[in-house]
Amino acid sequence: MSVQTQDKVQAQDKAIPKKRNYRPLRSTEKLKKTIKTYYFLTGTHRYWGKPLGRKLAWVTSGAPVELLRVFNIHPAYPEQYAAIYSTNKATAQLCQVAEAVGYSQDLCSYARSNIGGVLRPDLAPMGGMPKPDLLVACNNICGTVLKWYEALARHFNVPLLVLDTPYLTGEITEQALNYVLEQFKGMIKELEKITGRSFSEEELKKQLDLSRATTGLWKEARQYCQAQPSPLNAPDLFIHMAPIVVLRGTKKGRDYYEIFRDEVKERVSLGQGAIENERIRLVWDNIAIWPKLFNFNKMFTERGACFVTDTYSGGWAIDLAPGSPLESLAVTYTEVFLNRSPEFRAQQLIQLIRDYKAHGFVMHSNRSCKPYSLVQEVIRRKVMKETGVPGLMIEADMADPRAYAEETIRNRVQAFLETFD
Amino acid sequence: MLEWSVAEDGGMGLSQLLEESALKGYQRHVRYPEHKFFGLICSYFPEELIMAFGLEPLRLLPDSANRTPSELPAFSCSLARGILDRELRGEWRDLVGVGFVHTCDTMQCLSGIWECSSNARIVSIVPPVMLKAPGANRYYQEELKSAWRQLCRITQKEPSEEALREAIRLVNRIRHKVRKLDELRSKLPSPLVAAILRAGQVMPKADFERTLEEVLPQLESTGEEPAERAKILLTGAVLENDSLYAMIEELGGRVVVDDTCTGFRHYSGPQIEESANIWEELVKRYEDMPPCPCKSQSLNARINYLLDMAAKRQVEGAIYVIRKYCDPHAWDAIPIVEEFKKSGIRTLVLELEGADVGGQERTRLQALLESILENRTIESLGGEEK
Repeated sequence: MSVQTQDKVQAQDKAIPKKRNYRPLRSTEKLKKTIKTYYFLTGTHRYWGKPLGRKLAWVTSGAPVELLRVFNIHPAYPEQYAAIYSTNKATAQLCQVAEAVGYSQDLCSYARSNIGGVLRPDLAPMGGMPKPDLLVACNNICGTVLKWYEALARHFNVPLLVLDTPYLTGEITEQALNYVLEQFKGMIKELEKITGRSFSEEELKKQLDLSRATTGLWKEARQYCQAQPSPLNAPDLFIHMAPIVVLRGTKKGRDYYEIFRDEVKERVSLGQGAIENERIRLVWDNIAIWPKLFNFNKMFTERGACFVTDTYSGGWAIDLAPGSPLESLAVTYTEVFLNRSPEFRAQQLIQLIRDYKAHGFVMHSNRSCKPYSLVQEVIRRKVMKETGVPGLMIEADMADPRAYAEETIRNRVQAFLETFD
Repeated sequence: MLEWSVAEDGGMGLSQLLEESALKGYQRHVRYPEHKFFGLICSYFPEELIMAFGLEPLRLLPDSANRTPSELPAFSCSLARGILDRELRGEWRDLVGVGFVHTCDTMQCLSGIWECSSNARIVSIVPPVMLKAPGANRYYQEELKSAWRQLCRITQKEPSEEALREAIRLVNRIRHKVRKLDELRSKLPSPLVAAILRAGQVMPKADFERTLEEVLPQLESTGEEPAERAKILLTGAVLENDSLYAMIEELGGRVVVDDTCTGFRHYSGPQIEESANIWEELVKRYEDMPPCPCKSQSLNARINYLLDMAAKRQVEGAIYVIRKYCDPHAWDAIPIVEEFKKSGIRTLVLELEGADVGGQERTRLQALLESILENRTIESLGGEEK
């Protein structure tokens, strides 16, 4: 092609607006404001934390944040910062910082990029995370969080509180429940010492009520995706899950999901799908591939495939268990799906495929998340056998773009989607 | 003849132990037809429970680092891949069952995969991760009692408490003898001690105790501690063969502290007391044994234990061996190496696919050991330590 012709084509491309196969959500604007405020507050904690007597805790995504809120603790989530680092293309560089001081490239990329951000905040989006006053980890999502937070506790020399929620091979046992309850009692004493505040069961109940309302709205919005076409696609779910993680148990979180739920409901009543010409309905399994979120999903949307639900962001759409506030917390946080057997997870996926009338499912074999990924193949076989729908496995990483093999993945996705033609 | 090969005269017991160690449970049907074995993957599953049922604990070890069963992704460790592969090939069909303990994420996943992919009868224990957390001891006791009930169902037997106490006594005696052997480390070739310790995890316990009793005097009478060898602390996970120990020895080192899962850590920790509450005492031992990276007694308990051992045995160099994709050890290596270095202990981190070592490891080990030995020369000449 001559240079002149090339210029002509480029000029034409600019003149014709790009066809968008994607319907943007109005509530995204509100989401941006809500989350920006949260990150602004977190980033400026050093100015207001002490005067207001509010400690800042780095918290794992599966930690019982409601209890921390009773003590007026402001939570900050290294995992969510790591996802932001990744979407901002900073992960590879931050991981290299951690790798240079000895952290293996095979370790979790959230952890590596977080540690990279601690060591070199100048390389991290938003200038990295503010220094914590304490660390709170719950091992219901993986064993990595314990090692990661131990490393942070040594670095910052601040208290580390760990809630050990035993892995459930079947249903929760009486001994597991009692053990978690005992630890909550111990944790309450520690938090009273650290914050100088007294525990109030009444306050915890209020927090739980707010959490219940927020997760209820998130769950309701997700359930509207059983409609055909689905009002939401996976990127919507991954982006709009931010408040359920960081603002669970707050009025702001609840208020946001009311708006979000209403918009999703409206889409269903208008018969509007998240993508044009929804043809194939899929379920996603595992954490998002943050560095390629839109590129990856484009391979599906351009062929009329929509991820109508997923197991990852669905992890926060769980009803709080009944019982006293502490019992409710203990059961809810121990029964997190990543803390359960492959049999449980297979049944969960089967149910999603049935409820959402999915034609297939895609599993992200995530190098950074062993508890999520190592059992996927046996789950895939079981789900395919019981539902008769095909399941695709692709290997990548939730945050580290160096583990993403573009061509291999494209070929596998294309071949998979062709089976629906 | 290798330096640590057994002399023909009077070395029958030692030969047996070395054979068992090399066989890793192969030929168990031929060698011990009257025994029934129960597979174990981790030292946090109390062997005493299995023995109370008249069963022999057998540590499941991989036979090759290169096995990749399709049930596991390539980014899982070769221990998990290797032992699952042997299960899928039917090599453990004769086992009465397999005991899983929730330690790392991989082992947790492996128990689920095992359950979905084979017909093996599984007994799972989920010990506390935070061993000193409020309620941890009581919870661990209940988990053991639950495992006991599962074993009752599988074996259709209900042993008495006395059977458990008898098993505890036997394991206590074994640990006592192994401790004596461990004290002799500096005088004994490293692969020999490693092989004996592994034998104790793959052969019937009473036979192991008897044979160890027989060989201990012979080992105690072994010559003086060789002053020229560099004193090495070795830490890491499972080592299914002696390749690394042999190379350390060959290059002028001697393992004087062995903190590997298949090494002394399996036997270390306090003896079990015989009080009225046997479950509490049993748990106490497992809570107080030197922790692996998957368990926590306190933030720096493992580091402090290793530093303490290094000081007691005048360690000059440390080797942290990490199996590829073993997250807990990869995490722990960083602070431990840092503390060793602060204490003036030269340290090498070796990442291995399995337990075999090759040319690359030889070069790195050589560099470590040479630097230790050279430093000694400089010190003896009154020079400044480097």
